Amino acid sequence: MKSAPFEHYEPTTTNEATSLLESLDDPTILAGGQSLVPMLRFRLANPDVVVDINGIDSLDYLREEDGYLKLGALARHADVEDSDLIDERYGSFADTAPLVADPQIRNRGTVAGSVAQADPKGDWGSVLLAHEGEIVAEGPDGERVIPADEFFLLPYDTTLGEDELITEVRIPTPEPREGSAYHKLKRKTGDYAMAGVGARLVLDDDGRIETAGIGMTAVDITNAQATDAEQHLEGERPSADLFETAGELAAEASNPESDEHGGADYKERMVDVLAQRALGDAAERAGAVRRKVTQ
Amino acid sequence: MSSDRERAPDADTEYQHPEDDGPEPEKHCGHGRGGMGEEVNRKEDKRFITGRGDYVDDIKKPGMLHCEIVRSPHAHARVEEIDGSRAEAMDEVVAVLTAEDLLAHDLATMPTLMDDTQDVLVNEKVKFQSQEVAAVIAEDRYAAKDGAQKVEVEYDVLDPVVDAEEALEDDAPLVRDELDDQEDNHIFDWETGDKEETDRVFEEADVTVEEDMLYQRLHPAPIETCGAVADWDPGKDKMTVHMTSQAPHAHRTLFSQVSGIPEHKVRIVSPDVGGGFGNKVPIYPGYVVAAAASYVLEEPVKWVEERSENIQTTGFARDYDMTGELAATEDGEIKGVKVDVLANHGAYNAAAQPSKFPAGFFNIFTGSYDIEAAHGSLTAAFTNTAPGGVAYRCSFRVTEAVYLIERMVKVLADELDVDPAEIRRKNFIPSEAFPYESATGWNYDSGDYEKALDKALEMADYEHYREEQQRRLEEDADKLIGIGISSFTEVVGAGPGKQCDIAGIEMFDSADLRVNPTGNAVLRVGVQTQGQGHETTFAQIVAEELGMDVDDITVEHGDTDTEPYGLGTYGSRSTPVAGAAAAVAARKVRDKAKSIAANELEAAEEDIEWDRESGEFHVAGAPDRSITITEIAAGAYMNHPGGEEPGLEATNYYDPPEMTYPFGSYIVVVEIDRETGEVDFEKFVAVDDCGNRINPMIIEGQIHGGLAQGIGTAMMEHVTYDDNGNVTGGDFMNYLLPTANEIPNFETGHTVTPSPHHPIGAKGVGESPTVGSPPAIVNAVVDAMSEAGVSHVEMPMTPDVVWEKLDEVGLSHQPARNVEFSVEDGEHADD
Ligand SMILES: Cc1cc2nc3c(=O)[nH]c(=O)nc-3n(C[C@H](O)[C@H](O)[C@H](O)COP(=O)(O)OP(=O)(O)OC[C@H]3O[C@@H](n4cnc5c(N)ncnc54)[C@H](O)[C@@H]3O)c2cc1C
Repeated sequence: MKSAPFEHYEPTTTNEATSLLESLDDPTILAGGQSLVPMLRFRLANPDVVVDINGIDSLDYLREEDGYLKLGALARHADVEDSDLIDERYGSFADTAPLVADPQIRNRGTVAGSVAQADPKGDWGSVLLAHEGEIVAEGPDGERVIPADEFFLLPYDTTLGEDELITEVRIPTPEPREGSAYHKLKRKTGDYAMAGVGARLVLDDDGRIETAGIGMTAVDITNAQATDAEQHLEGERPSADLFETAGELAAEASNPESDEHGGADYKERMVDVLAQRALGDAAERAGAVRRKVTQ
Repeated sequence: MSSDRERAPDADTEYQHPEDDGPEPEKHCGHGRGGMGEEVNRKEDKRFITGRGDYVDDIKKPGMLHCEIVRSPHAHARVEEIDGSRAEAMDEVVAVLTAEDLLAHDLATMPTLMDDTQDVLVNEKVKFQSQEVAAVIAEDRYAAKDGAQKVEVEYDVLDPVVDAEEALEDDAPLVRDELDDQEDNHIFDWETGDKEETDRVFEEADVTVEEDMLYQRLHPAPIETCGAVADWDPGKDKMTVHMTSQAPHAHRTLFSQVSGIPEHKVRIVSPDVGGGFGNKVPIYPGYVVAAAASYVLEEPVKWVEERSENIQTTGFARDYDMTGELAATEDGEIKGVKVDVLANHGAYNAAAQPSKFPAGFFNIFTGSYDIEAAHGSLTAAFTNTAPGGVAYRCSFRVTEAVYLIERMVKVLADELDVDPAEIRRKNFIPSEAFPYESATGWNYDSGDYEKALDKALEMADYEHYREEQQRRLEEDADKLIGIGISSFTEVVGAGPGKQCDIAGIEMFDSADLRVNPTGNAVLRVGVQTQGQGHETTFAQIVAEELGMDVDDITVEHGDTDTEPYGLGTYGSRSTPVAGAAAAVAARKVRDKAKSIAANELEAAEEDIEWDRESGEFHVAGAPDRSITITEIAAGAYMNHPGGEEPGLEATNYYDPPEMTYPFGSYIVVVEIDRETGEVDFEKFVAVDDCGNRINPMIIEGQIHGGLAQGIGTAMMEHVTYDDNGNVTGGDFMNYLLPTANEIPNFETGHTVTPSPHHPIGAKGVGESPTVGSPPAIVNAVVDAMSEAGVSHVEMPMTPDVVWEKLDEVGLSHQPARNVEFSVEDGEHADD
């Protein structure tokens, strides 16, 4: 890695980090480095100052607290992948972690860094959207909580201020009858998604869908929410027909482009397929019984 | 000499020589000294596994400078001006070199392996993206890169042409306007076989089939990129270049020719090489720039490519746009084959292929089949893409030929609605027909194709999967089964010198064996390992021939000052050529040893016999009066017979009489997801025949690696360009290589049909799996859809490509078809 020269700061507390971000000229945050280092290497990023947050131990956590699943800024993809809590209670997170990049990248890359990177082909943004997740940021004016659906603006562009540090990403802890899932199509291990869909379903006491969340990967200029599909699901009982229509609505809401990951038509079609698969898994994990029928 | 080496004789391998008049029939067996057929652990692994390999980038020399190349962002552009002043102003930057500086030393251009002339640094016009425009030499590699960023180049951007077909249109931009006699982008036309006869066969045939297929542009993508450390010694007037070279001696000759430095003052050292696969056969501008910079600055200069530089600028492979045709009788007897190819050679004609045919060994496209008439034609074109056409783990276009014929046989089988295994069996060259001359003039040494196919069918449980395939279709299941076969024949081991040369040097190879007074030996060879295990297998050949312990033999290679001249390692030629040289050199040593044995055993030389089993000489009729080579070695130096030269060594330069023709049958079973187009491997069977087997474990490793590359080829690899000539598949984010996750369990098997003309009956094996597996994989995917009328799917078969085919023929599925959900109400659910 032959980057241009830069100054490297290693704060050990959040306060130290935020004051560095405030005082330094145009600083760049380094978390796992799995997006930033390649950009440094290609000299697509040529920062003068890098603030490395890896020494801030207080940001290294993954826990349930105050009605949230909270991931500190140093929670790595591999931490999610290895967590029993995630395995037991958060289907979509358990699905997503092993599908992100490859094991080496997952050992270093952070969930918060991935969200900050705001790559429309990144997976976590979709999961946060499906879960009504939030991004917690520290800046010169203190803490700010940004709902996921107000975070992503454009590819690699978010509503985060330049002097703000994401300290945490979080989602509400599951309701009694909640299930979630994430499905991703890729060309090989380590490849970004051709398309991906995250789904979350909360069932009410009657077995109807009370809340539905659908987030989509790699099919729009940002991670995108399939709002029409969500509305179509709410108030209904899970069924193959219902999910089929939701899949179609999600596909309609997507805006993929043709590129090396596949043609636009294919991706749109896959949104439909993946949404149906994710909804099926989410329903099952929420307590619905799924049966194969022979025609 | 203690050894914890494991030796597991390969139980089901029999070493045999044909009864006919080949070389002396000798029995080979695992005798426990690490000879033929023993699974000796690789000698080279200790240093690789413990991180003690010694690669070009590990070399550090006092005062060493670093070179970074400034590359063109445009595919086609005139260089108006290069301003290096901002870079030169940096403290750590020593020099900025441009074509002008090189012209002063007559180093501005270099010959390609096809005798074209390539700019070392762009003189007037950039012809492909990332072409070398200037070089920055600095005290460290960061500063060199910083300097390169500061070099300002003014370009006059021209329209590029990327596609070979468009390149041949009348109004296409002219890629090579600097060549006086070049008025278009056409490079050459080439023809093989008998056109009239083939046309006649096609006219009379019951059935003909035709298919277009692209063998996409690939990159060998070795894990180590290319690099060099050039060190001009003005005291000795000597240039030493450590470089990533598959052919150090040939490179020495070329270096001398390019630079004007006499060849005895040029030393090329190829240290450990991290994979080559054909990518390290050509000379690249970076090597020349490093050498020129060292000459001018009188300091060592290191140049090491980055990954994307490697993929974007160094020798690519394939890029053959092919149309195949077969003519056959109604019952599936193949009568004729035709093929027409459009080859994209990039901006220079730089294919690395040393045969007398401009399209290399492509004319082996009759494959494993006894076909009476064949005709092939090929046109090559210049485009604004990187030059190449290297033999990526194959013998000079044999991969493209094998793909064509193995795909076409499947197309024909589907047209006639016969089993693809049956149609192969029907058309194989029969085992009794060898040596066999093909319709395009190739002399196949030996083969037993049906035996290999039968073995593969049995291992693959072929009938079971055929039934399963039908069942899935009948049930309209969500996953389809496809079964693909490839019964390939390879041609490897170039020379013979009369047919193949590099820059006029005939393609022999060499071995120099010296037995030391204390009884161990050093074997020096002219080929260059890049992972093939030569340090082990060649030692095994000598162990076998001299009855020595494999641990007592060191194999050296890669240094042109000490090794005998050789043409290098590629095209699976090392065992067929240098392996033969090693065996012959060892036999020469044995001949000399015999007279010493006679002296030591106080018997007449005629009464001395060699016992291969025990690895000793003994006196005829008195087996206990015996002596080993180790004991003889002492005699050769300390008690040599009068009238004999002291010492115990021999050299052999081996020019093979013919090439060798390894073969095999691969069977691939895939499962295709009808909702997404994803392809999963259910079963992957590879039966190979490479003649007599030296080290079965190393063969197995070679097969595994090559199959992985075949999967990469079929499923994901492609160097893509956009219309502006930008490389869009030029790094590992976009040039996809398979990982262990994408690689299924391989079931390997083998048959043994020795080469009758090779001293130890061996054939090459390294490239069989890369060559043989892509058509098996594509045939499998096609097979899953062939009942619905699909005859071809283009590589790489990413899920979108496969799904589009499924959808086109009505085989795609919707997920919701066959599930039902039921939800109990909350109170029950909570119980
Ligand atoms: C080969 C490859 C394949 C990949 N495949 C996938 C994939 O399949 N799916 C996927 O989702 N991702 C994928 N990634 C991306 C990977 O997930 C991200 O690189 C990584 O998670 C980003 O997190 P990081 O900690 O490495 O961030 P860094 O690289 O350190 O930073 C990324 C950006 O975010 C900013 N940043 C980081 N942390 C914070 C913070 N706490 N507050 C504010 N800004 C911050 C940085 O300044 C920088 O701009 C892939 C990456 C590679 C190299």
